[in-house]
Amino acid sequence: MSNFLFGRYLPGNSWVHQMSPQSKLMLSFYFVVVIFFANNIWTYAALSVLILMVVLMSGVSIGYFLKGIRPLIWLIIFTVLLQILFSSGGHVYWHFGPFSVSDTSLINGGFIFIRFLLIIMISTVLTLTTTPLAIADGVQTVLRPLKKVHFPVDTLALMLSIALRFVPTLMDEMETILNAQRSRGVDFGSGSLRHRIQAAVPLLVPLFTGAINHAENLSTAMEARGFTDSEHRSKYRIYRWQRKDTISWAVFLLVGVLVLFIRKS
Amino acid sequence: MDQTINFKEVTHTYQADTPFAQNALNQVSLTIASGSFTAIIGHTGSGKSTLVQHINALLKPTTGEIEVSGRTITPATTNKNLKQLRKHVGMVFQFPEKQLFEETVIKDIMFGPKNYGASDEEARSDAQQAMALVGIDEDLQDKSPFDLSGGQMRRVAIAGVLAMKPEILILDEPTAGLDPRGHKEIMDLAEDLHEHQGMTIILVTHQMDDVVDYASDVIVMDQGKIVKHGRPQEIFSDPQWVYQMHLDLPSSAEFASRLITAGVPLKSVPLTIDKLADAIVEAVQGGHVHE
Repeated sequence: MSNFLFGRYLPGNSWVHQMSPQSKLMLSFYFVVVIFFANNIWTYAALSVLILMVVLMSGVSIGYFLKGIRPLIWLIIFTVLLQILFSSGGHVYWHFGPFSVSDTSLINGGFIFIRFLLIIMISTVLTLTTTPLAIADGVQTVLRPLKKVHFPVDTLALMLSIALRFVPTLMDEMETILNAQRSRGVDFGSGSLRHRIQAAVPLLVPLFTGAINHAENLSTAMEARGFTDSEHRSKYRIYRWQRKDTISWAVFLLVGVLVLFIRKS
Repeated sequence: MDQTINFKEVTHTYQADTPFAQNALNQVSLTIASGSFTAIIGHTGSGKSTLVQHINALLKPTTGEIEVSGRTITPATTNKNLKQLRKHVGMVFQFPEKQLFEETVIKDIMFGPKNYGASDEEARSDAQQAMALVGIDEDLQDKSPFDLSGGQMRRVAIAGVLAMKPEILILDEPTAGLDPRGHKEIMDLAEDLHEHQGMTIILVTHQMDDVVDYASDVIVMDQGKIVKHGRPQEIFSDPQWVYQMHLDLPSSAEFASRLITAGVPLKSVPLTIDKLADAIVEAVQGGHVHE
């Protein structure tokens, strides 16, 4: 778990850190959409240069980034292999039964690899430079228009921020329970599948009962502090749109338009 | 079997090689004698819990090695064959009631022994002995552990560790959140296990009164290092130093040092209430008390 970078926050004070969470969220979303428009080497190059710039401006070292991607590399390789072995068309170099390798499948495989990398990079930048609570606030701001169709945006945001707040707490608890059961002689992660599933029970039951206890205590404490509903509340943290957001959006929109122009139609 | 615990220049770094890297233990060398009652004290975050988790190899040293129960744990030690070690070293975590999961109290207590290969009958008799030790009524054995009170749950959890009959028992703040009576019962249980069963007890605590009442050895930790290791009397003889370590004095010593500043001529700093009473009697009979 400890070298799993995805979804962690790294404190800092860079350009990317200072942007408002709602614009970062939308920007990441927009970027992922743009990635799917890219279809030739030049479009991917443009997007790669952009993401490299973003990573540099986030103040996080690139080596650290690559290390964070490592746990996901098998998933990427698996998908790329599927793409290479099963897609058809183009000049065939090698084939065996249903498998074949051709120049188009190799190129497509390469594109999918870059695509994965770009998506992981942008979302890692987002989570590394934004606190979980800021992300929850950002989601609330972004979803605000849905209020018009009576979607419970505030309740969702509350649930989201509570969930995010309790992720580390529950992780800690899991660690402790894991260790406690280990000292009582449980072997986690070895033996037959049946054995492993059985070994999960002494971990899961306490984890669930713990979570229920947390929920009960938290709801009581919230009521005692005058919480009645999530609609009629004021906000303590306010994230305003800044110049940095406007400039970043301008750059991203420019690259987006560029991609639309140089893609193969 | 020799149960002496030996730490040789043990360093532990959490999340090594990341920006989150944190040195929790720094070149720790120490020996905990077989059959001792050792208290580990120190400011929050000084590395106490990290230290004790090395003793049954839940954590492995980043560098250095540990000898315990005839086993040597090095950075290269794998998770295989650690079961036998963990049977010898019982570990009661903070808020151990969180680890209960079985349908009935007795099944939960039997869980440990059964993991170490005991048959159902053996495990049941071990469990019943452990229940008697911690003072849980036999009527409770078929109840769900989740129906019990907080204090009872804690005792069931401790019984679950004692049922494995460990030779070394580690207690990580076993009385946190208990009422004074529950507190005394648990600490008396630890003393009883130490005196009558010859268990090596390692107690992590913030309660200095418990340290002087029960422990024979005290280890003081600060910022991942051991700064003092000695008898309670030696540790608390220098109040200034104790405060520097962000620790408290035992309440008797605290009271005595206030008496001394107020001009009462006590000869030494007494650590327990009895010694304090003796010291005051001595001072009064000496006739030096100010009106």
